[in-house]
Amino acid sequence: MKKVAWLPASLRGGLQCAQYSQTTASSNFPRRTVFTLPKKQFSTSSSLQESIAAAPIRFTNNNAKEGEEEEDPVFNARLVPNSASYFTAQPIFTDDLLSLQNLLQRYANLPVLKPGEAPRVAWLSLADYRNIVGETVKAAKYSKIVEILHRLNHIHPSLMPREVKDVLNEYKRDVNPYQNTAKPGLVNTDGHALGAGRRKSSTARAWVVDGTGEVLVNGKTLIEAFGRIHDRESVIWALKATNRVDKYNVWARVSGGGTTGQAEALTLAVGKALLAHEPALKPALRRAGCMTRDPKRVERKKPGHVKARKMPAWVKR
Amino acid sequence: MILRNVAIRHGRKALAGPIQKSLLRTLTTDTLPPQEIAALEHTILNHNKETLSIDAQFNQLPTTRTFVAPVKRSLSRREVRSRFHKRYQIKATTDKLGSEIDPYYQPHQLIIDPPKPEDVTLELLMASQSHLGHSTSLWNPMNQRYIFGVRQGIHIISLETTAAHLRRAAKVVEGVAYHGGLILFVGTRAGQGPCIVKAAELAQGCHLFEKWIPGSITNGDQILAKCGIKAVDMHDKEVEGYEEKIAEWSALKPDLVVCLNPLENYILLHECGLNNIPTIGVVDTDADPTWVTYPIPANDDSLRCIQVIAGVLSRAGESGQKKRLEAAETGKVTWLPPKNLGNPVTEEDRKRAAEQKKAKRMLGMAADGQEHTRGTRGRNGDIDYQSDDL
Repeated sequence: MKKVAWLPASLRGGLQCAQYSQTTASSNFPRRTVFTLPKKQFSTSSSLQESIAAAPIRFTNNNAKEGEEEEDPVFNARLVPNSASYFTAQPIFTDDLLSLQNLLQRYANLPVLKPGEAPRVAWLSLADYRNIVGETVKAAKYSKIVEILHRLNHIHPSLMPREVKDVLNEYKRDVNPYQNTAKPGLVNTDGHALGAGRRKSSTARAWVVDGTGEVLVNGKTLIEAFGRIHDRESVIWALKATNRVDKYNVWARVSGGGTTGQAEALTLAVGKALLAHEPALKPALRRAGCMTRDPKRVERKKPGHVKARKMPAWVKR
Repeated sequence: MILRNVAIRHGRKALAGPIQKSLLRTLTTDTLPPQEIAALEHTILNHNKETLSIDAQFNQLPTTRTFVAPVKRSLSRREVRSRFHKRYQIKATTDKLGSEIDPYYQPHQLIIDPPKPEDVTLELLMASQSHLGHSTSLWNPMNQRYIFGVRQGIHIISLETTAAHLRRAAKVVEGVAYHGGLILFVGTRAGQGPCIVKAAELAQGCHLFEKWIPGSITNGDQILAKCGIKAVDMHDKEVEGYEEKIAEWSALKPDLVVCLNPLENYILLHECGLNNIPTIGVVDTDADPTWVTYPIPANDDSLRCIQVIAGVLSRAGESGQKKRLEAAETGKVTWLPPKNLGNPVTEEDRKRAAEQKKAKRMLGMAADGQEHTRGTRGRNGDIDYQSDDL
């Protein structure tokens, strides 16, 4: 809002009115323009006073001035900031931080869990918090809040105060990703365990049974199904790395992609099925690379390129 | 063992049932070469011998013979809770036992219950190290009149001056609070946060314990645009009806700034100077006292000293606010409302304005219609509502 001091009694303005009185009377201009004052102000103090919260102190004059004051009774209201953190430019964030610090100070004596034993919680991300608060909070500043939340989360659950629980819930993400745990594979009544794996554009399913080391891929033996020795080895790599080639039979279906993709999709499938039989093998299988899905795919071709990255040859003219 | 022998020994009975999983797994076709097996067995034998000999030596020691390894058992929830409560019960019963301790310095007490301006004594100032200045080589000669002398290469600030200036500053804070001004407490050094927040709480002002954003006063409309303000009446109750005014109102400016570390906040003090805002500052022997309006010569590097000064000023602000509210109870308003704020807009006012606008529009339409009949017949009846509103 433009706060132009309104000086109706200004001599300059009066003179101007007098000067242009004839033209204004005849023309159809809106009235407002006639009384517009020159923009330059002669006192700097009047513009300053307006933006300061409280008006200057009016010292009481004992002379008979009471009659004048009663002319326009103005409601007594003054403007104050909503929050004491007004001048930090991030009042909501600062208030949040202070209230959390208060809470921590109040409950600092409660027994805590050992580091790492507290339930894992995903706190609001920085972007979420910024959206909720509507202030541009820096990451380093938000990390202070997260630090306090982490400490509060370590209060022993048997003595966790209701108040702290409510505050922690406010800062929790709607979905807790740490509650998502992979389902363990199952061995059915016939002793079959099914595992599925993918690589590039191949998809594989493998049924692993107790046996003597026979492998059938799409009804063919390993030697018939894969020409390369490397591929044959990758199919049964999970069994080979754990020294169990001769203890299980594998029956697998695989589709899509080429030979390498199919073979490595089978690695994953066989590994997962083997895990259903012997869950204790997980670290060994992970080290052998039979648990991790390789997310690489064929990169798409781009316009202006010959392939995904290749540029057409440069020709002079 | 060879499979054939199993069949011969146990006959039909052994083969009748289904073969167990574990049995199948032991049937390995892979075998290591005999030399490697021999080498492995040898190493295992060696290893066993060594460990046995070490064991024997240890077990002869008297302490290890009776040693029982501790079993780590995590406490149950109930146990944790009962132990916690028990600890507090014991503390409550035994806390008062023993010798009586004389009053002693408790750091948190300065923040929980800060001293009042009446409590300021030279002893308190001395105890809080407010007399310690900087090395004589760092001094600012402008501070000459605040300096008591030199001791061990540092300047000693005169405590009488400190006390006098502190009392004067307390009066200023009290007066500003009494006249409804907005007081801003600034202390941006590490560790000054808690006392600043407490001071702002007592004096009902604002606090700033992180970096001053340059331009918050001179360019407040941009920087503090998102920070909300409200209108309050003489009893500090929020008043409705100013929403439209507030939405257009420019950013607030403090009426008094208390700066506990002027050396780091030159920009803030400069902005205050540009806007005729009085400032109170703690001036050490290396600072320039002309940066602030009301200097308090004291040691700004001691947190304890800063806590005493902030506490005294906040108590002064508290009493000012209290007096203002007491005056308001008797119907006396100690401040003037800001210019152009006017009266609150009530629901009735809004209705009346809308009715007036409507009536005006109707009148305008009627006048326009009359003009139609008189002369401008060829014109289409375009009614310019905009001009009517003027």
